[in-house]
Amino acid sequence: MAGASMNGIKARIKSVESTMQITKAMELVATSKLRRAKESAERTRPYLDILGRAISDCLSSPELSGTAWSAPSSDKTLFVVIAGDRGLAGGYNSNVFRLTEALSAEGEACFLPIGKKSLEYFRSRKREIFSDRYEYAAECDVGDAVALGEELCRRFRAGEVGRVVLVYTKFVSMLTQAPTYTELLPLKQSEATGTMPEIESDPEELLDAIAPSYVGGVLISALRESLASESGARRSAMNAANKNAGEMIDSLMLKYNRARQAVITQEITEIVSGAEAL
Amino acid sequence: MNKFRLQIVTPDGIEYDGEAESLLVHTVTGDMEILAGHMEMAAAVGTGRVRILTGEGKLFASASGGFLTVSRGEVKLVCVTFELREDIDLARAEASRLRAEEKIKNAKDDRALAAAKAKLARAINRIKVAEMK
Repeated sequence: MAGASMNGIKARIKSVESTMQITKAMELVATSKLRRAKESAERTRPYLDILGRAISDCLSSPELSGTAWSAPSSDKTLFVVIAGDRGLAGGYNSNVFRLTEALSAEGEACFLPIGKKSLEYFRSRKREIFSDRYEYAAECDVGDAVALGEELCRRFRAGEVGRVVLVYTKFVSMLTQAPTYTELLPLKQSEATGTMPEIESDPEELLDAIAPSYVGGVLISALRESLASESGARRSAMNAANKNAGEMIDSLMLKYNRARQAVITQEITEIVSGAEAL
Repeated sequence: MNKFRLQIVTPDGIEYDGEAESLLVHTVTGDMEILAGHMEMAAAVGTGRVRILTGEGKLFASASGGFLTVSRGEVKLVCVTFELREDIDLARAEASRLRAEEKIKNAKDDRALAAAKAKLARAINRIKVAEMK
């Protein structure tokens, strides 16, 4: 009986060990990806900062603040949801979805998922999907973001959607990633800068030209932040998995040794009692 | 000449942050030169060349997509791509020009065609800037 349980424990140790090998490898991969993703996210921050201030400056002009760009023309809200392409990243994907659900609880909503997990999530819940062209978040480059920015602006101007909200994960630090959202359209002045730019052309035309690059720019930085967050979340999750696997192996080892000891003790008892009987 | 503060940013980081005497950009309504003391303004920037007079010399670059604002005496050029002439890889630009031409031939819908055309314009602009003396 004891021999059978020993074999069982041995098999479990083996299976935990092989799982640990996978989680270890994933942690290494995530760590090396994280470094690159973090650098690219950090490089984009001054861009987003200056972009935001520049658009604020533009909108502080009375000529530019009252255009169709700052007034929603429909009740429908489009949520651009950036999640990962793969799971096993702790709460990374589900946190983004939870925030999206909370935001979209009221009113008419449709979704533009970026990333495979995001697409699967909204597809399986039969939500209205705006476009499924952006299946892989990791493969979206600057060109895609700009093209998407143009498309969003076109749809907004056509009155198909009244608001565009971007849900993504902000990379706070190696250990913390916070799901967050930002309203892309209608254009809003984030702070009162009090300057009044002279407009070279028709204000509406100017915004027609500027808005897509603004939206595209925000999308680029959100994508990079999200990618860095995904790697960070996966690294933490895999780190925890490694720790758990290590603890599990330790306790299984203890059990195994106990079982082994029990078998030996029993054998000795049997031999001794056998010898006494003779 | 009087100088002003110029900041040029792209998603890949700050490309230029410092003093400049003049900034020549290609906006969607035509070429425009900004000097110190310019009025507050905003303009959309198209694909084209950029010239910066830093006071010590001239810098040429290719830029695409974005916009320009002048406010509180500071000039901000926010664009999708910005490459100094010295950094342009001519061989790569030629290769992407050929790829873009190929894509235009094989474009299936208007969307793909427009994207390929924009790509071609960027490649040609890059080549032009790189060959500029």
